[in-house]
Amino acid sequence: MTEISMTPDTSPAASPDSATDALGQSARKSIPVSIRLAIGWVALMVLTALLANLLRPYSITALDLSARLQPPVGFGGSWAHVLGTDELGRDVLSRLLVSIRVSLSLAFAATLLGVLLGAALGLMAAHFRGLVEQVVLVLIDVQAALPFIILALSVMAFIGNSQVLLVGLLALYGWERHARVVRGLALSANTQGFMLAVRQLGASPGRQYLRHLLPNISATLIVITTLAFPEIILAESGLSFLGLGVQPPMTSLGNMVGYGRAYLSNAPWIPLFPSAVIVLTTLAISTLGDWLRDKLDPTVR
Amino acid sequence: MLMFVLQRLARAVLTILIVVTFAFVTLRLTSDPTLVVLGPDAPPESIAAFRLRWGLDKPIWQQFFYYVAGLMRGDFGRSMLNGADVLPMVVARILVTLKIMLPALAIGVGVGVSAGVFAALKRGTLADRMIMFLAVVGFTVPGFVLGLVLVLVFAVSLGWLPSGGNDSWSSPILPVVTLGAYWSAVLARFTRSSMIEVLGQPYILTASAKGLLWQAVVTRHALPNAAIPVVTTVGLMVGGMLAGAVVTESVFSWPGLGQLLVTSVAARDVAIVQCILLLVATTMVLSNMAVDFLYGLLDPRLRSGLH
Amino acid sequence: MPLLELRNLQRVYHTRKGAWGGKDEVHAVRDVSLSLERGRILGLVGESGCGKSTTGRMALGLEEADGGAVLFEGAPLPAAGSSDWRSLRRRMQMVFQDPLGALDRRLTIADQVAEPLVIHGIGSAAERRERVESLLHATGLRPDQGAAYPHELSGGQRQRAVLARALATGPDLLVCDEPVSALDVSIQAQVVNLLLSLQQEMGIAILFISHDLKLVGMISDEVAIMYLGRIVERGDPKALFRAPAHPYTRALLNAVPDPARRGPRPLLAGEPPNPAAQPSGCPFHPRCAMARADCTHIAPELKPIADGRLVACHLAHKGAAVAREAEAC
Repeated sequence: MTEISMTPDTSPAASPDSATDALGQSARKSIPVSIRLAIGWVALMVLTALLANLLRPYSITALDLSARLQPPVGFGGSWAHVLGTDELGRDVLSRLLVSIRVSLSLAFAATLLGVLLGAALGLMAAHFRGLVEQVVLVLIDVQAALPFIILALSVMAFIGNSQVLLVGLLALYGWERHARVVRGLALSANTQGFMLAVRQLGASPGRQYLRHLLPNISATLIVITTLAFPEIILAESGLSFLGLGVQPPMTSLGNMVGYGRAYLSNAPWIPLFPSAVIVLTTLAISTLGDWLRDKLDPTVR
Repeated sequence: MLMFVLQRLARAVLTILIVVTFAFVTLRLTSDPTLVVLGPDAPPESIAAFRLRWGLDKPIWQQFFYYVAGLMRGDFGRSMLNGADVLPMVVARILVTLKIMLPALAIGVGVGVSAGVFAALKRGTLADRMIMFLAVVGFTVPGFVLGLVLVLVFAVSLGWLPSGGNDSWSSPILPVVTLGAYWSAVLARFTRSSMIEVLGQPYILTASAKGLLWQAVVTRHALPNAAIPVVTTVGLMVGGMLAGAVVTESVFSWPGLGQLLVTSVAARDVAIVQCILLLVATTMVLSNMAVDFLYGLLDPRLRSGLH
Repeated sequence: MPLLELRNLQRVYHTRKGAWGGKDEVHAVRDVSLSLERGRILGLVGESGCGKSTTGRMALGLEEADGGAVLFEGAPLPAAGSSDWRSLRRRMQMVFQDPLGALDRRLTIADQVAEPLVIHGIGSAAERRERVESLLHATGLRPDQGAAYPHELSGGQRQRAVLARALATGPDLLVCDEPVSALDVSIQAQVVNLLLSLQQEMGIAILFISHDLKLVGMISDEVAIMYLGRIVERGDPKALFRAPAHPYTRALLNAVPDPARRGPRPLLAGEPPNPAAQPSGCPFHPRCAMARADCTHIAPELKPIADGRLVACHLAHKGAAVAREAEAC
């Protein structure tokens, strides 16, 4: 047998390419102004959501019939009600702050649930194949055949209107897209590379997925979560606007627009402030999501 | 080939069947329409009579079979509130909705795709950035906000257009714009990125190196290839617009299918909701299937089965 | 009793000819029988697509055979994925072709080398750390390389890490599927030498799969040549090299440039084989310079010839028969 002397390799290392590295590197470079603004707005919204009950000057149901339909300060109103009042004299600012909390927390919970559900089903389809995969694919087909709002309307009106059901329904928004993405990723990871290596080391499926697959697809998961979040805010707002989402006395952004719509001509601040918040928030998160996608996983559509 | 078509059809039928069953089960099992329609104070005799009339006293699976049999005959049941046949009611409303949906689809595709192509060709210029900005606005502003703003500006402040209803020839204008805005924005972004990707391919460079006029390069090579993924998005638009119509019709009090759905849901009119659900699902399934086939035909890579 | 025995293995893939076509059957592995004794090296050689990697995977139970049996220490392998199969992984491991792909880029080398110990619950944390250190040392890696991530090492270093991981539980069998093909030529020899010294030290049996006949011939105790899913020749490497019995083996050897050869190099005629469209009779006959009439419709079986080698070729059999007759007279 031929023998060549054995020396440890001293060749130079390959360049790093992990996701966190890429993000870290570009964070050190300048972040575009639009992204900074977006992050700022989102941070503001999150703070508002967390501190709403401390920040609001009035209760959301505090009536003041002597101060109905007052315009915001600067347009004829007073500092007592900075953003004006609605038809029952309730303070718009307070209701807005609490609405932000309600809408954001609902959307957050629903997004997480939806991504978890979609990812779990996608993983199960990729792992078990066979009948399980077929069932999941059919479920995906069915979900894709029903526009969310139509499905939600049908279910909500007949089961009733609870916060829990609303979250549950919102969680179903888009799960089929997450499932498709995760199934695709898991299938391709399973057939090559380190997943196969770990499997033949004797790792149990739980270990394979939790310790190896999920961390490696975390970038994609973050991207799809960030992209789904604003869509769910819009979905909840739409439902609440139609009167079928968050019900009074609870208030949400869509709810405020829906009930304020009748006053569009004489007290436009009632529907317009919550509308502006909806638009700015979804814009900010979408911009962030796009930026994250470009940095972490450009293959997500 | 035949196998593929049959498989796809089988999947489609299965999907529709599941939707029907799901709709039927959730609707029937979770509510007692009798009390909703007649009110909680109704005397027991009228409750019994109502139940008998609507077959609500039979076991659930029998109701289901009657229902499916009826569907096959084209009988979608009768509205619980006014006793009229459901299908003609729904169809009439569909036509009204189409009055805003078809123009919106046309605008969505026409404006969206052209804007996207234009932006891709003029990539990096002010025009491109402006178009993209408008596009971002178009799809982050929800339908109801856009609708309200349009009403505020054009109906309330300027008084040029009506704020709702279907009374004059100018009534559809604002609803159409509202409905079409989102999808033209989405298509514009999508077409632009698809075009940019295609324009970056080596074969485009080869085509213009061959001496082909830029216009010809675009129309003969870039557009057809960029069109392929755009087609799938257009297929999705159908469902998206149906959903959008529900909100838009609510904003503009447009007496179409969306409004009917909302009022039926509030009134718990089971037959109408089921009918709408079924029609929407069937339309979606068919359009998804059509897109799949179209995609398979358009993309030569799929045609030869290099999957 | 041999450590590993493959008996008449079959593996058929079903594919569809495009979205519109019918089904296709690809016989990736046909009637493959091999046996490997403890501590020995069996080389498996063939072109891409000949089924050698599939055979390797079936040997470990990573793929289920469609026919035949795989016996490890006389007992059939448990079903893939079952907990019995998983605990058997301690005794048999695989080394892959692409070292970067075989490693999780988010974990350090040391973590990954330790992983089989964690999975099979071997040793305490301190004991595992010690074992990892000695494994790294044995494969020529420094401790600081253990703390590095896969993308920070070179190809050769990564493959050493993969080796270290594969040897962590002290397996009796190692299946190496093209372990050095992805490495620079200068590094290949180093890794192969490492593999050999570890093999001798630990008494591991190795199934060495490669397309490089020369390399395999140098290190193996026994060599098997595969073509289109079948074993066409099997036996002692020295005898194989000196007097190849099967025309394909001859062609493979001739393909290696040899400065001592005189005259033109005999080239293999015909197209590389397509496993989806296998010829009738002997699979090699379309490219064989010496094909006869019966080669086109009767598939030759693997039979022994004079020096104990197994060959699947009618001509070789005739030659052996002639030699036997001559002896008998």
